[in-house]
Amino acid sequence: MTIYSQLRDLAFAAVIALAIASAAFVSARDKDVAERQLALANRSAAALAAGQAAIAAHGGLVGPALASPAHPFLKHRAIREPGGAWQPLHDKLIYDAATRFDRDHASGWLLADGTGRAIAVVPHGDELAIAVTDPAKPAPYPLLVMIGVLGLALALAAAGALAGHRALGTFAGVAALAVPPLLWSSWLAASAIALVAAGLALAQRRGLTDQLADGMRRHRTAVGFVAPAAIAMVVLVVAPFVIGLVLGFYDHHQGTWTFVGIDNFAEILSGGGRALDDPLNFWFILGVTVLWTVCNIALHVTIGVVLALVLSRSWLRGKGVFRMLLILPWAIPNYITALIWKGMFQGEYGAINSLLHALGVSGVSWFSSWATAFSANVITNTWLGFPFMMVVALGALETIPKELYEAASVDGANAWQRLRHITLPHLRPALGPAVALGSIWTFNMFNVIYLVSGGKPGDSTNILVTDAYRWAFERGDRYGMAAAYATIIFAILLLWTVFGTRIVRAKGADA
Amino acid sequence: MTRRPNLAARICVYAALIVLVAIVLYPVMLVCKKAFEPGPNFALSASPVPHAVTLGHFRTLFGARGSGGELMFLRHTLNSVVISLATTAVGVALSCTAAYALSRFSFPGRKTGLTTFLVVQMFPATLLLLPLYVILDKLGLLNSVTGLVLVYSTTAIPFCVWTLKGYFDTLPRELEEAARIDGASPWLIFRRIILPLARPGIAITALFSFMTAWNEFIMASTFMTDESRFTLPVLIQSSVGQYSADWGLFAAGAVVTSLPVMVAFYVLQKYLVGGLTAGAVKG
Repeated sequence: MTIYSQLRDLAFAAVIALAIASAAFVSARDKDVAERQLALANRSAAALAAGQAAIAAHGGLVGPALASPAHPFLKHRAIREPGGAWQPLHDKLIYDAATRFDRDHASGWLLADGTGRAIAVVPHGDELAIAVTDPAKPAPYPLLVMIGVLGLALALAAAGALAGHRALGTFAGVAALAVPPLLWSSWLAASAIALVAAGLALAQRRGLTDQLADGMRRHRTAVGFVAPAAIAMVVLVVAPFVIGLVLGFYDHHQGTWTFVGIDNFAEILSGGGRALDDPLNFWFILGVTVLWTVCNIALHVTIGVVLALVLSRSWLRGKGVFRMLLILPWAIPNYITALIWKGMFQGEYGAINSLLHALGVSGVSWFSSWATAFSANVITNTWLGFPFMMVVALGALETIPKELYEAASVDGANAWQRLRHITLPHLRPALGPAVALGSIWTFNMFNVIYLVSGGKPGDSTNILVTDAYRWAFERGDRYGMAAAYATIIFAILLLWTVFGTRIVRAKGADA
Repeated sequence: MTRRPNLAARICVYAALIVLVAIVLYPVMLVCKKAFEPGPNFALSASPVPHAVTLGHFRTLFGARGSGGELMFLRHTLNSVVISLATTAVGVALSCTAAYALSRFSFPGRKTGLTTFLVVQMFPATLLLLPLYVILDKLGLLNSVTGLVLVYSTTAIPFCVWTLKGYFDTLPRELEEAARIDGASPWLIFRRIILPLARPGIAITALFSFMTAWNEFIMASTFMTDESRFTLPVLIQSSVGQYSADWGLFAAGAVVTSLPVMVAFYVLQKYLVGGLTAGAVKG
């Protein structure tokens, strides 16, 4: 029995340790390949510069960029083997390498296409010796080493259990798995595995692992039922989320990631040296986002509640038809709504300006000033969002007992007093959660901002989510920056859900 | 319950309602008009009535051919259908049992699990966009149907868990208790009693899940950059892109793409409100 639970605990930790070790292997291997290939490329380029043939690489001596006589804006280069004749250069890799060297004197780098090819440039007079290595053959995964170490771990753990020192046995066993990373000099991975080993040994000492296993056994039906969704969530949500957190500490440039600590967060939160009214300053965007959320929620709730009150009058005819027509905006996919409104706001002759002309008002160039562009976004999102609040309010109104109104009438309460003291308090419990949910949706209403104003004019109407997206995909692939942004947005949302919605709900509860 | 106000007040209320309905209908009518009106510009006149009627935009939309001569609209529709169906299948299949367990069993971690599903469902998937992009890029799954289905599953699974859990909560427990007394295992009870009972709830959840995937734009446009992999939203957005805007084509596409989901929405909307707010109230 002890042996069984010992092996169970070991297996659990071994899976984690093996994952860490494998990641360490891959990264060590990639680093090794990069170093070797770069050295090879450099030697080859040096050989070319010295007039010898390239070693395990192709390339040649490249001439300076010359303007083409027929097309003065087009440049071309020529290439030759050492001692050979000049030929037009058609290899885009080599051409780009020469251009990059001319621009920033980069002398060697690894291609970002995953083939493990390296390129090196060595100046030679006014020519450049450029060599591109062949694709690298990565070392195979050390399967035998891993199996051997696992066997050792098993033996150690079992010995520990038999000798009556379970925790010591598992610690030694799991720590044995840290040996291969040590061999690849991945100190980080080795210490992570050691930490796992220590954590497991401690948990074992306190009997936590047995408790956990016992709990799983007792609730094994529930565990089995929840497992599919739980595993999927760990793989699809938790893992990307953690990776996103980590990426926030890196800088991404042309396919290479560099660890930069908290630089991204510091740049964002300090505004990056930009003025407070600079559209790229985080605090400016946060201000726009909050204003955007508040304006929208206020409009949605006001319009929604007023409409719900009107639609719930007993004398009103055609309620069903009105309700059906008024929820139409909710039924339309929101990217289509956003694009329709973008079209309507567009240009001198858009539908909105034509209507304004018909009313005798001169047209507005909607996306050339902040206020009008922001209003265009708010108008679109209000059109889109009020039906949700209306439907929620209508549902809540139906639940108010009619006797309350009758009693109030008997007591001589007027319409305003009935609204103030009966209707609104009964609306709050339903509207609270709806406002909490709606505020999160609006805070992140990507499609409207991205498709209607697109941040115009000059990125000033972006909200946090669209700005994060632009860092990732429209401002030179600054993935690290975008990841840091997403982390900050997540923190804001979390604070809001924990505290903000509590306020909204508390108000609903004590009313 | 309340007194009937006088005639003038009633006329004002009706007039205000009709104006609001007009504001709501106007953009929709403009799009319908543009779908049938010749020419690529959106609205040279504010009138919602077309000055001439043509089916040309629909013909262009359905007839566009790719480099290999294949019908592009058919292709994009197929992409959208396959991706939405697969997402729904993954979402429902993985979440049925979990939703049942969260509704009926008590076990440690139940509350944490519920909160996690709720938070993931409420928070926008765009927060995960970047890490998902980097991961799918590493795995070579950009521009692939599998990749986008995995991305959509991140929201579909928590959504299905919460909606189905809400539905299971409304089912009576007497049948299960009777079956348990007769010695049926939890799995048997789930398969033979709960699943058949929950069919309507599962169908509705599946439809919503399908509609969400069908209407998704930004993930699809980020992950599917190859034109043959576009889904319908990406196609529609690209028809009014930065450099060439053909609003006629856009309108035709918008009408064709949104009509089915709008019909579904009208049929199902009463279930949607309940599910959404129930989740928020109980969380």
